Amino acid sequence: MQEHAPLLTATRRERVGTRYSKRIREAGGLPAIIYGHGKEPVAVSVDAKKTLRHLHEGEKILQLQIEGQSEVQNVLVKDLQFDYLGTNVIHADFTRVDLEERVELKVAIHLIGEAVGLKAAGAMLMHPTNEIELECKVANIPDHVEVDISGLEAGSALHVSDIQLPLPTMKTLSDPDLIVAQIIIQAVEEEETEEAGVVADGAQPEVITEKKEGED
Amino acid sequence: MPPYKIPKRVKYRKEFRRARDRKATKGNYVAFGDYGLQALEGCWLKSNVIEAGRIAAQQLLKRQGKIFIRVFPDKPVSKKPLETRMGKGKADVDYWAARVRPGTMLYELAGVPEDQAKAAMARVAMKMPVRCRFVGRRLSV
Repeated sequence: MQEHAPLLTATRRERVGTRYSKRIREAGGLPAIIYGHGKEPVAVSVDAKKTLRHLHEGEKILQLQIEGQSEVQNVLVKDLQFDYLGTNVIHADFTRVDLEERVELKVAIHLIGEAVGLKAAGAMLMHPTNEIELECKVANIPDHVEVDISGLEAGSALHVSDIQLPLPTMKTLSDPDLIVAQIIIQAVEEEETEEAGVVADGAQPEVITEKKEGED
Repeated sequence: MPPYKIPKRVKYRKEFRRARDRKATKGNYVAFGDYGLQALEGCWLKSNVIEAGRIAAQQLLKRQGKIFIRVFPDKPVSKKPLETRMGKGKADVDYWAARVRPGTMLYELAGVPEDQAKAAMARVAMKMPVRCRFVGRRLSV
């Protein structure tokens, strides 16, 4: 997280719904909602280009100033909605936070180092999850968590419980047994078992509801 | 003809055609691998085409990386034989297909560099009956 969270200006949305949100997006805005701290939720729109730039930089905390109000509030990016192609952000959820408050959020995992196990023939690095769920103070939210995989050998795995968090006050909420990085040997993977379906030319699946011979 | 996948068990032998003009609301992002091939149009993707795509990618990658197939052909499609009069009930199942909507992720790749993944997916896209695009993981919060 940067020293100071980036400041964005938000405009209150008087009319909500698909049609009005679409018009906001066409005008270069991003529909959003601010909620939390027991206050009423406020539908707003922010500048899409600026907001997305900050989000791509990994910012989690933003400062929002609603037009016509002098108060600046710290918000955490809680959720993003995407279009059907999954490329464009169409809506953002912001939740009000205090800098001293503890929050739960997901943080990206960056794998660093060259694993020794990758030198083996057919070795491949798999990382089933790219993020970890953390509980930490808002002021201490990291941009990402670095995980050193240089000691990882072929056939072994690195779990969430093995991750060294940047600060001792941080707590992981993800399952400790969840695999973060793993080196598998491709030759074993190659012998794929056909679990989901039958593999045969002209074969037909079994019909569960079909009446068996001798049944009425 | 190479062997292809069909379901092991089904509840009914045949099914209605159903609407096919909706956009994907699930299975439309890279979930398992690092890169993916996304359909931009809808279709019924035949089981042999899915297999052809897998082989195309695997041959180019020379057994490097891992391929995830995100669609499964669970829809039976029936077809009347040629020169047959109408009626006499619903025809036999001709092929099995996966329902693909615009935005559906077809394949994913893990464990290969981006340029290699791009080349493999371009090769797979040639086999597909719909327009496709190469995508990476999306922004997460």
